[in-house]
Amino acid sequence: MVQSKKQKYTFLAFCLLPTFILFAIFTLYPLFSGLYFSFFDWSGSSSNKEFIGFANYIKLFNDVIIPKTIIHDYFLVVTKIIGIMILAIFFAVALTQLKIKEAPFYRVVFFFPNIMSVVVIGILWTFIYNPSLGLVNSGLEFLGLEKWAKPWLGDEKWALPSLVLPAVWAGIGLFMLMLMGGIANITKSYYEAAKIDGASEWQQFWKITLPLVWPQIKVSILYIVITTLNGSFILVQVMTGGGPNNATHVMGSYLYQQAFKQYNFGYGATIGVMILVLSLITVLFLQFLMRREKVEY
Amino acid sequence: MKLKKRFWILCLSIGLLLFVAACSDNDNNNSSPDVGTDGEIAGDLEIQYFVGGYGDSWWKEVIADFKEAYPDVNVIEYAGPNVNEEMRSRWVSNDPPDVVYIDGAGSSETQMVEDGQLMDLTDWLSEIELEGGDKLADSFIVKPANYDGKIYSLPLVFDTWGTWYDKALFDANGYTVPTNFDEFMDSMAEIKAGEGIDPFVTTGQHPYYFLRGMLYPAFAAAGGEELLADVITGKEGAWSSDQVLEIMKRVEKMVDEGMFDSGLGALNHTQSQMNFLLHQNAFIPVGFWLPNEMKNDIPDGFEFGFIPSPMNAADEKYAIVPDLRPLAIAQEADNPDAAKAFVEFVFTREYASSFSEHTGAIMNLNGVDLTQNENVPGYLTEANAMINDPDVVQIYEKPHPMSADLETPIGNALISLMLGNMTAEEFVEEAEKAAAEYRAGLN
Repeated sequence: MVQSKKQKYTFLAFCLLPTFILFAIFTLYPLFSGLYFSFFDWSGSSSNKEFIGFANYIKLFNDVIIPKTIIHDYFLVVTKIIGIMILAIFFAVALTQLKIKEAPFYRVVFFFPNIMSVVVIGILWTFIYNPSLGLVNSGLEFLGLEKWAKPWLGDEKWALPSLVLPAVWAGIGLFMLMLMGGIANITKSYYEAAKIDGASEWQQFWKITLPLVWPQIKVSILYIVITTLNGSFILVQVMTGGGPNNATHVMGSYLYQQAFKQYNFGYGATIGVMILVLSLITVLFLQFLMRREKVEY
Repeated sequence: MKLKKRFWILCLSIGLLLFVAACSDNDNNNSSPDVGTDGEIAGDLEIQYFVGGYGDSWWKEVIADFKEAYPDVNVIEYAGPNVNEEMRSRWVSNDPPDVVYIDGAGSSETQMVEDGQLMDLTDWLSEIELEGGDKLADSFIVKPANYDGKIYSLPLVFDTWGTWYDKALFDANGYTVPTNFDEFMDSMAEIKAGEGIDPFVTTGQHPYYFLRGMLYPAFAAAGGEELLADVITGKEGAWSSDQVLEIMKRVEKMVDEGMFDSGLGALNHTQSQMNFLLHQNAFIPVGFWLPNEMKNDIPDGFEFGFIPSPMNAADEKYAIVPDLRPLAIAQEADNPDAAKAFVEFVFTREYASSFSEHTGAIMNLNGVDLTQNENVPGYLTEANAMINDPDVVQIYEKPHPMSADLETPIGNALISLMLGNMTAEEFVEEAEKAAAEYRAGLN
């Protein structure tokens, strides 16, 4: 049956229109209203708003906490990328190449944190870090390292690094699966040929596996960056609330505090605009950095 | 083919439904103020009340009685621990409930007044009388918050922060209950030695517990209501005054001598309260709601003891700074007559007595005799007697709660001080800076 042009376009409209309407309502509209509210002095809990032009942006540039939150965010981004990618690649290679019998079991175990809500993960780790009852400090005591025990989340120096562990733990599974998919697609004959030529396992990894799963690694890193910039706020909110003394505030949690705790909704919207701009810049920069030609053998 | 078509229609209608739901306005609230034919009070009355540590049993009782007294009024309740967030969109769209009880996270009386959301009750209040003929305006334990001579809310709950201890533990081991800061330090030293614990705990995630629970009384004892008001409004020079510095030195002393729980920076309020109940610490600053809030976790033999926070110098009396939870009427109330009727209905001495039974706290009316009511918990009758004894305790009133814009940065510096990462001098400097920024933001 040959489709008429009209039929084709109706079908396309059928596919695209609902998505576009939903996208407009739930993404574009909030985006622009956020931008709009950033020019107002508004508590967010009444109908009184006052147009103040760029005053919120001036406040943003003079706010001493803002640079801290940006640094904290990028600290989490960098440590998470390093932690998650190294471990995810390691586990993916181990589970596909090393022919472990229990591989399916480990796959489920490593993926498990991904099906848990981030809030649950946060609460769980708060207990693990609990100064008197927690696993970490009891473990250190058991090993005779009482000196190292500390109130992890209540320490201005250690609170932020302590957030990296749960974030990495929660992230590995998904990226491990993605990389396993990539590795499974590599033709086995490459490895066989390399083995015949006398390449060690290590050389095989560097010369065959890594270049061929590069597209997956690239997507994973971008994904980690975006989710961290937008989502690390949940973990911070649940585990430390930004404290002690702003030591763990990320941009998102500071936005939340300003908009909903200090009733500066307009200023919160301004921080939101900043997050958007920074995320865009970061992603574009990463795209540029990781452009590497697709390898095919 | 037919099936496919149906599927598409289904998808489309779901999409449309979502669209309509997202765009529709709440237009069912435009009913005009309903006054019955003969001037009787009638119509819908919407009440928003936060449910926290006090529970909601008292509210249920009062509302049921109100319905009986005003059968023509249809009371609609909005209640729960998240009600402030849930009702926010109603307030933003200028369609608020009629009566609001302002308490809990996400609500701020100062913010509501600044935004002009509450009705001016100044004139109306002077007309209301209690059951015995006393004027309501003269029967409050603590007077309503005053915003440039105007009253926008009536304080319903009289709560106060203070310091809790386990009476049973203190009696068994002969620890002294302190009445001033020097005794407090001695008592904590005794406990530190005797029990091998860090004696004092508070939540580090919410440093305002320490600010309101320990520092407000100290400021009041040292500088009276004037200093208290200056500190709360962030007046220039208040935070860097000698009086404040001396009190912050006391906090520093507590840090230096290891009186604070070393892990407090990580604790949220429930965790700190749990630590206290488990005897990992001996003192904790919380309000009257503590026993009710933790009622499911109280160990056997634990006996709550309450004192005004002993941060006062040896020559000063205990100080108490009441914390009030007000009832208010919305400026845009659809049914202001019913709202006023309800507020008037609530403020009686009878309900004040039943309030203490239900919640373990005190309603803000004087002349209520709790000693005769055996359903009121023991610590409350004792605390009530102590508070009412002017030889022991002095009550200081704050003008209004501190704005979150000032409390947040001060709380942040405070946690650094309590963790030992800041000195009293540095704290005072930070606080003064925060106050300057707060003042600049007001204009």
